[in-house]
Amino acid sequence: MKLIKCLKHAFGMVLHSKVRSWLTILGIVIGVASVVAIMSIGGSMQDTMTEQLGGLGGDILTLTAGFSRGMSMFGMGDGEGPEGGGSTATDEEPVLDRTDVQALRAIPDIEAFDTQISGSVEVSYLGKSGSVRLTGVDQKVWSRVTTSEIGEGRMLDSADQNVIVIGGKLAESYFDKPIGLNQMVTIEENVFRVVGILDDTSTNIYMPIQMAYQMLDDKENGIYDSIVIKVKDEEKLNETIGKIETKLMMIRHVTEKTKDFSISSSKQMQETRSEMMSSMNSFLIAIAAVSLIVGAVGVANSMFTSVLEKTKEIGIMKSIGARNKDILSIFLFNAALIGLVGGFLGVIFGTILSAMLPALMGETSMLRGGTFVSVNSIIIALSVSVIIGIIAGFVPAYQASKLKPVDALRYE
Amino acid sequence: MKENNIILHLDNVWKIYKMGEVDVPALRGVTVEIKKGDFVAIIGASGSGKSTMMNLIGCLDIPSKGNILLKNQDITKISESDLATLRGRTIGFIFQQYNLIPSMTIYANVLLPMEFLEYDDKTASEKTRKILETVGLGKYMHHLPTQLSGGEQQRVSIARSLVTDPEIILADEPTGNLDSVTGKSIMDMFYNLWKKEGKTVIMVTHDLKLAEYAHTTIELKDGQIKTINKK
Repeated sequence: MKLIKCLKHAFGMVLHSKVRSWLTILGIVIGVASVVAIMSIGGSMQDTMTEQLGGLGGDILTLTAGFSRGMSMFGMGDGEGPEGGGSTATDEEPVLDRTDVQALRAIPDIEAFDTQISGSVEVSYLGKSGSVRLTGVDQKVWSRVTTSEIGEGRMLDSADQNVIVIGGKLAESYFDKPIGLNQMVTIEENVFRVVGILDDTSTNIYMPIQMAYQMLDDKENGIYDSIVIKVKDEEKLNETIGKIETKLMMIRHVTEKTKDFSISSSKQMQETRSEMMSSMNSFLIAIAAVSLIVGAVGVANSMFTSVLEKTKEIGIMKSIGARNKDILSIFLFNAALIGLVGGFLGVIFGTILSAMLPALMGETSMLRGGTFVSVNSIIIALSVSVIIGIIAGFVPAYQASKLKPVDALRYE
Repeated sequence: MKENNIILHLDNVWKIYKMGEVDVPALRGVTVEIKKGDFVAIIGASGSGKSTMMNLIGCLDIPSKGNILLKNQDITKISESDLATLRGRTIGFIFQQYNLIPSMTIYANVLLPMEFLEYDDKTASEKTRKILETVGLGKYMHHLPTQLSGGEQQRVSIARSLVTDPEIILADEPTGNLDSVTGKSIMDMFYNLWKKEGKTVIMVTHDLKLAEYAHTTIELKDGQIKTINKK
């Protein structure tokens, strides 16, 4: 029998297949759908991240006091910890202060830097209140250094005092009613006017640093939590980091070993995040792959049953001239088609799932570009499911082809 | 030239089934020649070995001992694939249970042997239509087997067996599931195939009345040939 006819008969078998076959197909559908959805969401997250990285240009550095904070995601920094305080206000803990600021001013490779403090504050609006993160920024340079973009209104200005810029989510949905431009918001019993709303999904509040010192009780004037630095030449990022480190170590009287500050670049952070994301992704895909394997076992099981069910038909076919390889081809095509149909439906459901998941998860900041299923992942999903079908179907198909016609015909 | 006239030759054929530890011989040294164009009835009581003999004649099974020559080819010595093709081209089967494929239409059932033998689509389609008209089932072409009566299904199975124009028609209790009137009409078809179209018809039956249609009657008893009668 020609292969195309075998394919036709295999297709007929799938079409006439009973609920059992559809359940088998469902097994593949679930496996493929979850792999596709996870691949697409993971891919989209990484794309969003790359995009953010591109937007940053990688020319932003964050300087913080203490060694372990910026260098390790899990706080597993140098065990010895910081020693000595350098030019600090207190002896116990290293901090950043005006001395450091002056040192930075002397480095020509720095284009601008923004001294920041942050902490948690009570905010209330129209009788509702909540706790959000407040960041005090140097309003003269903040707009040049920040990676946030303004959605409505304007950034902070050098003349600003009792005004704030708020994150997109805080404006839209944090309180019962959205906060619009020029609305008044109460922070720690002081009233502030909203002059800008950021185009992001944060609940942060930004205000001039001098005002923030008054809002945050535990902050001391002239001591900064972090300094965000924009370098002049992104190409010379590492060189600039080196210069800053040398300078600060000198000022703070520390050595490489006793260093009590850390500089992290957004590039490094993004790379670390991206690495974490991809290993997380591989883990999730591995879990999804398990369901695909379960699906494959289902195909094998269903094929064995199908061969039993069709034993008599195999005998009939052999009695009218079917060769072993004809039977083998028909059953292999059948298994491959089950895989293909499962894979195809799986891709469709996976696409729907990946479109719906961000909404279900609620956290959409990582998926701002929306999810998409790449052609590559469709091709991979389809070929993997066909291959799984063929592998799972091979043994039953081989058994079917080897049936002796006389035994097959006798089978009831 | 005598050999050319012999279409099927069984030479000291044994078939032994294993039932656990015990060997049960179903055929014991059967030797018989069937001439081309003969109408042979193989008769015998149940357990006499006639079904086993039919399976061997139809190349559905191979003997434990001895040789079977079908058109001078020893079926015990050719590959499975060649045997399947030889079977498909030379023998048309008609079974007691009709053995149609239930999920396929009448048309697809009759077309199937030609698909295995790789006929071209146009010829196959024409032959199928023609043969279904001949057996009077042209209008049921797109019905499923279960939508037809027993007699009609058996006519479909006859159509399927004839469509590749085989030299031998091998029928196993062809009227066993039919009422006497329908049975007679089927037997008349066989008779015509033999008489008018010169087919070699081999029929296995336990019904002595049906055997009367045949020209040669082979009676089996306990796995051996008891008598061979020719009219």
